[in-house]
Amino acid sequence: MEGKHATGLSRRSILAAGAAGAGLAAAGTPALAATLTAGEILDRMKQNVGGPWRDGGVDHFTVGGPETVVLGVSTVMMCTFDALKDSLKAGCNMVISHEPTYWSHPDRLDDIREDPLYKIKLDYVTRNNMAVYHCHDHWHGLRPIDGIHVGEAAQLGWTQYMHKDNPRFYTLPSMTLLDMAKHIQSTLDVRTMRIVGDPAMTVSKMYASYGNFGGITGASILDGPDCDVMVIGEAQDWDLPMYVQDTMTAGNKKAFIMIGHDKSEQWGMKYFAEWLSGFVKEIPCKFVPIIEPYWNPEKPVMEINTKI
Amino acid sequence: MADIRIAQAAPAAPAAGRGAAPANAPPPGSGRGPAHTGPVPALEFITRIAQRSGAPTRPILTLDRVVAGNVTSDVTGIACMALATFDGLKAAAAAGRNLVIVLEDTWWSDNDDLQRLEGNSTYKAKRAFIHDHNLVVARFGDHIADMKPNPIAMGMAQQLGWEAYAADKANPVRFNIPPTNLLALTQSLSRTLGSRTLRAVGDPRLPVSKVGVIWGNANQLPSINLLNSDIDTLLVGYTHEWEAVMYAQDQVAVGMKKSLISLGQAAGEQAGMKYFATWLKGIIDEVPVDYVPLVEPYWNLNQPTNLVSTRI
Repeated sequence: MEGKHATGLSRRSILAAGAAGAGLAAAGTPALAATLTAGEILDRMKQNVGGPWRDGGVDHFTVGGPETVVLGVSTVMMCTFDALKDSLKAGCNMVISHEPTYWSHPDRLDDIREDPLYKIKLDYVTRNNMAVYHCHDHWHGLRPIDGIHVGEAAQLGWTQYMHKDNPRFYTLPSMTLLDMAKHIQSTLDVRTMRIVGDPAMTVSKMYASYGNFGGITGASILDGPDCDVMVIGEAQDWDLPMYVQDTMTAGNKKAFIMIGHDKSEQWGMKYFAEWLSGFVKEIPCKFVPIIEPYWNPEKPVMEINTKI
Repeated sequence: MADIRIAQAAPAAPAAGRGAAPANAPPPGSGRGPAHTGPVPALEFITRIAQRSGAPTRPILTLDRVVAGNVTSDVTGIACMALATFDGLKAAAAAGRNLVIVLEDTWWSDNDDLQRLEGNSTYKAKRAFIHDHNLVVARFGDHIADMKPNPIAMGMAQQLGWEAYAADKANPVRFNIPPTNLLALTQSLSRTLGSRTLRAVGDPRLPVSKVGVIWGNANQLPSINLLNSDIDTLLVGYTHEWEAVMYAQDQVAVGMKKSLISLGQAAGEQAGMKYFATWLKGIIDEVPVDYVPLVEPYWNLNQPTNLVSTRI
């Protein structure tokens, strides 16, 4: 599945590169390369995503618009202020972000137009001629496999264990829950992961739902025979994590790893940059890792850059 | 009148030797009161709690109801807890307390939705345990939130030893604590609230003395508004990472002296149920009333040990 996908991608990449090259030659001046707009990049994404491009949902320009001239594209997990600064530092004025810019899933502005931080962020992106495209739904909709799942599996080194018929399920070599947690913590570079389960328990049947996940859907999967460990990004304590706790008390051998939202999805945005580079050749496309917001009292850190 | 929606109680497993329907219970306020001796059915205590809470009726939007069990059951004791986890129910049953008053859910969703749980093995096991131990679980989160003073705010302030620092002693949600820094505060909270996996956003060396709190779940706008007020740090039970957590991180990234501490839902509110249990003892003297603290389900790689019990 993975291999087929990669082949399709490279074929499209060659076509895209050829088309761009021809355009430049016809115009006769390399300066035109600098006039690639955010709208043109979005058009190419629409052609390459492999599925329908739907209206509605949360995908939209949260900053700038299709007319913004793009010098470089960064892909980030969440459009934090740090991500904006690091993107500019990397020479990228277009940011493709999986998660919001304005602190709510749909980037709702109604209640925050007078918010002091909103004004500072808006001023910063405007001053720096930036465009930010919130690309959540369509990246999850990438065919044949959700782009977040492709990137996370690759980062974990577990692509070969993904089920062909449902890439959310993995059959891994048996290991203890503790060893699995250590592997995830180191490969995904996460500080504040939380785990429910017996650390000595043997796990091999993993179900992954990166990002936010919860509710009875998760409970139903955990209750089935195909999952002994569920790995997710974020959930509310009183739904899925509570269910895992209770299913343990009921005598079921199940476990649960909550990575944290950012690190559970951001490697999927690393893959986004690789994907984009296949058909946007004129300018750099770079993955920009974001800063994990949290630390635990045992290991305090300060990574956030406080200078604008 | 109380708005505990008895009619919507979870279908109780058939109760041997007892009427299964609440209709068999004495109507609320029908003569039996604190004065009588002899067994008291759960419905009578539930009605008394709802009435004496002084909380106004929420006719449409309340999650409060009898979530499981048979309300005609005689009460042997009352256990108060934040979430009706299986572990919590076991602790209540072991102590001989069969009426469980709970702040949050029992069935793993905001509204204790049973729609898709029919065939779930954990649901069956928990239901069977509730039946076998004659437990009655009543959710009272909305009533408790509407009580004056708010038992959660009072109980958490007591647990932290912060009553004297509250800006408003009747509604302790802002505190001026003795100056410390963010790291020292997280270490102290971790000990006092028993939270092994609490997480903080911000500079560990940030001087902190003005603390705002939203115990339990913190929604986006109230959290943002509080972060924008004159506080150094915001304490929450849980808040979405793509909302207030990101907002706090962005505040730090533009040089604002702000921080956020996410305690975990139970750690961030359950001491309030200790306060509530004390209040309850003032209106119920027929049976013992206890507070049941919950174990933290999570561990992390700093301390990889499981605290959840693994047998019924």
